Amino acid sequence: MISPVKIWRNQKKIREVLNQSGKIISFTRVFMPPAGFENQAPYAVVLVKLASGRNYIAQLVDFEEKHLKIGQKVITVLRRTRSPSEEGIIPYGVKFKPL
Amino acid sequence: MKDINILAGATSSFGELWGVSPRKLVSDVTAEALKESGIKRHEIEAIFVGNMLSSSLGSQDHLGAFFSEELGLDVPAVKIEAACASGGMAVHTACLAVLSGQYETVLVVGVEKMTDHKPEEVASALMAAGTDGEREAGATFPTLYALIARAHMAKYATTELQMAAVSVKNHFHASLNSHAQFKNPITEEMVLKSPVVASPLKILDCSPITDGAASLILSRRKSGGKNIAITASEAATDSLGLAQRESLTSLKAAAEAAKKAYRSAGILPNDINVAEVHDCFSIAEIIAMEDLSFFTKGTAAKNIASGMTRLGGKGIIVNTSGGLKAAGHPVGATGVKQVVEILQQLKGISGAKQVSGAKIGLTHNVGGSGATAVVHILKK
Repeated sequence: MISPVKIWRNQKKIREVLNQSGKIISFTRVFMPPAGFENQAPYAVVLVKLASGRNYIAQLVDFEEKHLKIGQKVITVLRRTRSPSEEGIIPYGVKFKPL
Repeated sequence: MKDINILAGATSSFGELWGVSPRKLVSDVTAEALKESGIKRHEIEAIFVGNMLSSSLGSQDHLGAFFSEELGLDVPAVKIEAACASGGMAVHTACLAVLSGQYETVLVVGVEKMTDHKPEEVASALMAAGTDGEREAGATFPTLYALIARAHMAKYATTELQMAAVSVKNHFHASLNSHAQFKNPITEEMVLKSPVVASPLKILDCSPITDGAASLILSRRKSGGKNIAITASEAATDSLGLAQRESLTSLKAAAEAAKKAYRSAGILPNDINVAEVHDCFSIAEIIAMEDLSFFTKGTAAKNIASGMTRLGGKGIIVNTSGGLKAAGHPVGATGVKQVVEILQQLKGISGAKQVSGAKIGLTHNVGGSGATAVVHILKK
């Protein structure tokens, strides 16, 4: 369940991972989405090793086909993540775009 | 570990069972196990229920009492939840309960009712086993295993054709299992041409959404007939999310649980004759074979594709039930069903899918993308 309180609490953590670069270590294109993501499918999900050494999973956006490969350099950006819940809160989170 | 005797085991038919309630599923598999065991209902001293989604999909959060009422037993009853390893963890917990000396004989049931709901809802409910970050990315379990598959392909040159061979083998085995969800044999070409769920995984690489139940009666007492015992019951955990793992191409929890189980049973991986492994996706069976030390790292895919692990093959025969892929994957029931399948193999009552001369068997049940793993070893 997406609680507005949980969104508020978690948004404080987002700034820590913004504007960080890294490299794709695995990728996929999702054709069968979970609830809340129906309007976005198909979309790309990538696993990235950030320059800090930490791995991070998020969607890849604003990309061309040639960018969806292991080793591609990417950077974290702030984006809307899924359809708003009934409370009307719009969830924002981290996605990657190619560098 | 002291051996735990299995007095009986049963599974329901697996599939899209719209006309059957969870109560009926559990009632039927319990009655069947009681009949086979020869013990009286009131001799059951506790009930362990393996289930994941009763809360999110079924709005039922008091599952122990829900089923003890249905079974007419006012004994201690509790739900054990460990995502898709709930069934295996219920068996593990039941073993501990018997080993504690508190109970002589206990019932384990695994049950899941999934097909009453639309796929997007089931996919979201299953993702409760993942992390906030994975959910925010719009990841599903096929997504996470697709990331694992892509990494395995990059590191070991594993191919989509080799992954397809896993599904082909398991559908062949399921064609011999009257309880399986998909009894239709398939070909590699059908797998490769099936719709993509999360690239490189196609729908025929993925286990289905399934309703079903399975039961076991465990006891310190030996059974009257051929006695089959659980000789090792081990579990391990790892990070909840994929991003926090040391490796993408091995499930550390599974390797750890297996290592402990071999030690506990005093056997080597090659002593196993028959195994049920957690093939939630074709790539998962390939990695399972490596984590269980049946094959060295990077060599499982080609060995599976060569037919080594198929009925009649020269290796350890794997997933004679059809596995999760083709027998079906009612998540909380799967880990219990795996033990029932091995029980029947060791008793020599598996009919057309019997592995001849099977004496030692293993089950490997995984929760989430590898955060929980449970391994059981059974022997004649």
